Amino acid sequence: MLSEPGHYDYMPWRRRPRITWPNGARIAFWVAPNIEHYELDPPPNARRMPWPRPQPDVVGYSWRDYGNRVGFWRMADIMARHGVRGSVSLNVAVCDHYPEIIERCCVLDWELFSHGTYNTRYFYGMNEDQQRAVIRENRETIKRASGQELDGWLTPAISNDETTQHLLAEEGIKYTLDMLHDDQPTPINVRSGHLISIPYSLEINDVPLLAMRNTPPERFAAICKAQFDQLYEEGADSGTVMCMPLHPFLIGQPHRIKALDDVLRHVVRHDKVWLATGREIAAWYTEHHLAKAQSWIAAGTP
Amino acid sequence: MKGLPEDYLHYPRRQRGMDHDIYPFRALPTAKPVTWPNGARVALCIAVHMGHFPMDMPLKPFIAPGGMERPYPSYWDYTLRDYGNRIGVYRLMKSLAARSLPATALLSAVLARRYPALMDDLAAAQWEIACAGLDMGHLHHSGVAIDEERATVQEAASLLRARFGAAVRGWHSPAHSESSHTLRLVAEAGFSFTTGWANDDMPYVMTTDAGRLICMPLSQDLSDQRMLHQQHLATEDFTNSILAAHETLDREAQETGSGRILVVPVTPWLMGVPHRIRAFNAMLDGIIARGNVWPASMGQIADHWRAQNPG
Repeated sequence: MLSEPGHYDYMPWRRRPRITWPNGARIAFWVAPNIEHYELDPPPNARRMPWPRPQPDVVGYSWRDYGNRVGFWRMADIMARHGVRGSVSLNVAVCDHYPEIIERCCVLDWELFSHGTYNTRYFYGMNEDQQRAVIRENRETIKRASGQELDGWLTPAISNDETTQHLLAEEGIKYTLDMLHDDQPTPINVRSGHLISIPYSLEINDVPLLAMRNTPPERFAAICKAQFDQLYEEGADSGTVMCMPLHPFLIGQPHRIKALDDVLRHVVRHDKVWLATGREIAAWYTEHHLAKAQSWIAAGTP
Repeated sequence: MKGLPEDYLHYPRRQRGMDHDIYPFRALPTAKPVTWPNGARVALCIAVHMGHFPMDMPLKPFIAPGGMERPYPSYWDYTLRDYGNRIGVYRLMKSLAARSLPATALLSAVLARRYPALMDDLAAAQWEIACAGLDMGHLHHSGVAIDEERATVQEAASLLRARFGAAVRGWHSPAHSESSHTLRLVAEAGFSFTTGWANDDMPYVMTTDAGRLICMPLSQDLSDQRMLHQQHLATEDFTNSILAAHETLDREAQETGSGRILVVPVTPWLMGVPHRIRAFNAMLDGIIARGNVWPASMGQIADHWRAQNPG
């Protein structure tokens, strides 16, 4: 067993090389809708049971199915109204099950990246060949369904195994979201190839907040705005990233959608915001800031 | 029916006072009054839980708050805790420096080895360094042999003293976990105070086979780990509770003429995240605005208390 992921170096949150974003923005703000399919009758995994109840778990299944039937459409409309594109954390089998959803994402100019094939097929215990096969198949399916390249990755349920990040880099993935160690992009150390991390979030993610921490919608909105306000302020010194991960089965409920509307209205009201996608953040950071970060680490983070 | 063994209803320590010899009972109203510098009513100590949580930490006999709750390898749990030591603690440092407030770091000793740059920054910020064990994967409990536990305490003490010297006088057992030997081993290792027994608002003396320790207050009930992480309460539930605690302690200090102590236990991976740091700042400002506060490290408070409670 590993005592740590071993994929990133220590970078204290002071005197880092300054990050700048396009057009003098202080903060790169991106929204990551998790568009998922949880299978009705998935196979078991030794490290995690897919459903808390015996299958079929109608409560769990239908709650998530709501996201694709109802929540997604409501959420996408609100985002479009504010001019905020999504970077979809996509269970790639959604391309086969619900092409209507992919079509809507493409019309809205959203990025698609992989969140594995199904949210009920964990990477725990997969060998390297199996992981590689999933990554390659996901790449081909996204290309076929949308014409897009696959640049980003979030392992389903963050179930990555010890070798996953190495395989992502070897398969040409450009950015990973499996690590939550920072408020800025960082270099990722892999055995070959290149990979960076850009900030995802489990702090202002609607699953931890709404489903695990029992947060009412108004407080959810207040927390997201507080996160934004702080990172916007700090971004005056060096550019920050705020990710807002969403799950249509939660945020797309009628009693919660107003919270999303409130947060996005608050964000777009600020002038030094870069409304970006994951791919755009990764490309900008890699081109303009990655080498400086690596040099600073090599110099001992002075 | 057979029932329970006969000695189940024997009560060998049923007597006036405690059921152990570590310290005598003391009712707070009978504690000797103490005074703080400049006649302050409440000593304010910011205690920062800086733990390192190894990804392969043991999950038995219990998981420390913030430990690996998801299947191995839990990047989720590991990286969110590590965030505290690379980002969150710097936000806390900035907040405290802006208000000239000292702090006491309850530090996993392995951090001295892992993150020397962070150690330099803690030293520059003049935070007091107290030892919070080796790391959060080395809990202290009855399943650990005494020699193994002694080695853990000694290694932790050595790591921190190699960097910070004799100023490392305080001990906090990781996750408030102790075996029946821990206090003795801590005294053996030369610590003068310990913090983690949550049974008093004021210091008192613990007696061990290896000498005495001052036990400093540290709540787990009123802590961000319990309220925000374990109980899932809102940030303001925690900060309002701290303000309410201060109000009570400040009033008691006025009524009794004895100084009180407010220890604020905060955790970088919780209070140091962007959406909470402003609430933390507002809480500090709220306390400061009420006045009559003595901001101090835990060691400074222990020294002042000891000077007024000799013997």
